[in-house]
Amino acid sequence: MSTQVHAALDEGTVREISESLDEPEWLLETRLEALEALDGLDMPSVIRTPGREWTNLHDLDFEGFVDPLNAAEDKDQVGPDEVEVLPFAEAVDEHEELVKEHFGSVVDPQDNYLTALSTALFNTGTVVYVPEGVDAEDVKVRTRMNSRSLFNYTLVVTEESSSVTILERQSTGEDVEGERYYSGLVEVVAGENSNVQYGSLQNLDEETYNYTLKRGHADTYATIDWIEGNIGSRLTKSSVETYLKGDSSESQIVGAFFGHEDQHFDVNARVWHEAEHTTADLVTRGVLDDRARSVYEGVQDVGSGAWDTNSYQRENTLMLSDESEADASPKLIINNHDTEASHSATVGQVSEEDLFYMETRGTDPQSAENMLVEGFFVPVLDEVAVDELREDLRELIAARLRE
Amino acid sequence: MSSDQDHLKETDTEKRFEFKKEESAAVTSDKGLTEEVVRMISDDKDEPEWMLERRLRSLKQYQEMPMPTDWPGQPDLSGMDIEEIIPYIRPDVDKREGADSWDDLPEEIQDTFEKLGIPEAERKALSGVGAQYESEVVYQNMQEQWEEKGVVFCNMDEAVQEHEELVKEYFMTKCVPPSDNKFAALHGAVWSGGSFVYVPEDVTVEMPVQAYFRMNSEGMGQFEHTLIIAEEGSEVHYIEGCSAPKYGTHNLHSGGVEVFVGEDAHVQYSTVQNWSKNTYNLNTKRAICEKGGTMEWVSGSMGSKATMLYPSTILKGRGATDNHITIAFAGEGQDIDTGAKVYHNAPNTKSTIESKSIAKDGGRTNYRGLVHIADGAEGSSTSVECDALMFDNESTSDTMPYMEIQESKVDVAHEATVGKIGDEDVFYLQSRGLDDDDAKQMIVAGFIEPITEELPIEYAVELNRLIELEMEGSLG
Repeated sequence: MSTQVHAALDEGTVREISESLDEPEWLLETRLEALEALDGLDMPSVIRTPGREWTNLHDLDFEGFVDPLNAAEDKDQVGPDEVEVLPFAEAVDEHEELVKEHFGSVVDPQDNYLTALSTALFNTGTVVYVPEGVDAEDVKVRTRMNSRSLFNYTLVVTEESSSVTILERQSTGEDVEGERYYSGLVEVVAGENSNVQYGSLQNLDEETYNYTLKRGHADTYATIDWIEGNIGSRLTKSSVETYLKGDSSESQIVGAFFGHEDQHFDVNARVWHEAEHTTADLVTRGVLDDRARSVYEGVQDVGSGAWDTNSYQRENTLMLSDESEADASPKLIINNHDTEASHSATVGQVSEEDLFYMETRGTDPQSAENMLVEGFFVPVLDEVAVDELREDLRELIAARLRE
Repeated sequence: MSSDQDHLKETDTEKRFEFKKEESAAVTSDKGLTEEVVRMISDDKDEPEWMLERRLRSLKQYQEMPMPTDWPGQPDLSGMDIEEIIPYIRPDVDKREGADSWDDLPEEIQDTFEKLGIPEAERKALSGVGAQYESEVVYQNMQEQWEEKGVVFCNMDEAVQEHEELVKEYFMTKCVPPSDNKFAALHGAVWSGGSFVYVPEDVTVEMPVQAYFRMNSEGMGQFEHTLIIAEEGSEVHYIEGCSAPKYGTHNLHSGGVEVFVGEDAHVQYSTVQNWSKNTYNLNTKRAICEKGGTMEWVSGSMGSKATMLYPSTILKGRGATDNHITIAFAGEGQDIDTGAKVYHNAPNTKSTIESKSIAKDGGRTNYRGLVHIADGAEGSSTSVECDALMFDNESTSDTMPYMEIQESKVDVAHEATVGKIGDEDVFYLQSRGLDDDDAKQMIVAGFIEPITEELPIEYAVELNRLIELEMEGSLG
């Protein structure tokens, strides 16, 4: 990267952010190192075939969106008493050793240009800490972005045999003139035999560029299930990833997106099977209308030590308009032969026959199409184990259809 | 199988492919790729000025293009040194455009192709056959009945002289321009030999025509060009076979295939490649299919150290159809990166891709495909099915399909599975009295059956024999 450095993006700014949060020296150092690394880092990987880059992140002036000293948000972060759900700065204060141990252990701050930018500049976030044996159903984090840019950092640590369900929502609050940038990094450290369900519903306004990287490490017998709903934003580059590091760990990634007008979604679901008897199931469904465009990349990577692996992936896209475009690349990378793996992808439109059938039953064409689109999401919604998230997602889909 | 195909049952197939011949050449170019070498090839072939110009332009493009090194998971090409490759060897044959009679060939070349089973196959089942040895087609024959109907089957060098207007119009202009990729450019600069097939309107060539390419010399490059023009309503099946013995230094095969499928015409292109395991096999094969036309690719990729090959079809006219059936087998030290590409550029076009791969003893197979449905190609449908079989834990198998869909009224489906050879299936067969190897071989034969079904019997037998050899681990 050799874009021009924005006036606000310098050491002074980073020090100011760190100071205002009263951070310890090690965290400031990590930020400064990330800042320094920016020039040498590339954008997050996107699908590229010879002659074509499917999502051109290089064309976007991310530094131009950055206004780190004027960040503003409304945030609710609540959870049951036996679980710590703390604003990031507070967590650093109260559980410094825990944060220091895990911060950056799953997502390398210098993974790519945008993670480094986020690490250097983040000034809000949440730490969820679930002690051994505790079950926590209802952790909710709602973020409303009220400024030009917002960098959000979430760290989830579950100890042995605990479980947690986290619901995260991102939306834009107050209007800000011009284009905006939301960046969210999520690290999940799932201890032995623990169970993490992490649901996320993104409904940012359509002037907002969105980068999110959610990555989890699953220890022995641990389960990490992700639900990733993308409705809003102008452009979303979202990666949801699990490293199955412990034997018999599991992960499910459920994705749903609905694009209209000139929205662009680049969504990735990736799983690395690194241990024995691991299982992964990736399910994504998306609908595109108007000139919206989606790029889907799914990766199932089975390492050579991953004996007895089960790995499945399905992706389906429904296109409602001729101007929309859907690209997909479900990848299988298999280095262990004791594997059962499959992937499938389909792209199609609403079936003429189904429409006709419904019209003959007295439904007008628009309602019939809407019903079929809602029906299309059902297999994915059925996989969403969290009632509230499922209802919210269904509601957002229905609202978009009414537009 | 009838008794006159006994030669194909030859148990020692290794003998059929692995023998080497003393090198004896009339003309051998210098190593490496320079303007002098390109001029020398063109001069040796007494080519018209325009062809030399195209070669030189390709050379320039080749020199300007970077090596493809940024493909995710691509084969390692670093061991290939173009400066060490001999791009052109003209074997010592009297007649430049190839002998008309098998007996006119030098004994060593006769013997080579006899061992490969080519003349027998010709007598039994083919409309015509061409045989290329190193850079030159050494034998070319077309049965009279097809010649009378205006079918042309000759080698490319001869076509440049005898069918200049057609070649000038179609040769690397519309289908595979040299700018397509670095190896297409390389091919455009030093191409030599290959086949030219022309089928006039409404003519059906009922028996396949065949070309066989044999690389015999160490450290050489083979760059044959195949141009097939099937006019409206015609039908032809072209088969290509390739082999080379094993050498210590690397060989390079960078062929170019261009197929023009006219309106309602039907072309099948079948190939079984079995290059030696030090050969880099980097080809560009493409077809353009007009309204109502059908293109079928059937291919088996067996040999080579590294293969990068993605036969592609541009479905240009309404209702055009493309079918791909491919099988790849990678054994020790092999990286077979292959797949299929289809561009749906017109309404109501259809494609199916069926890909099977087997990885064994540390080999790597990868399916890398692209299905592109352009805006306006309404009513198009495509279905891609990839199945990979893995034998052991040293092997790797990847699937990287890409789908670019710009039209909503389409039907797109991709499916892939990877699995190991089923323990239960092996056990079942063993319980019926088969030993472990035979059981596995039988399962593989069943796995690849959809491919062998599409091949003429000789090739099906050859493919099966080659896979048996690979399974026995006796080859390479």
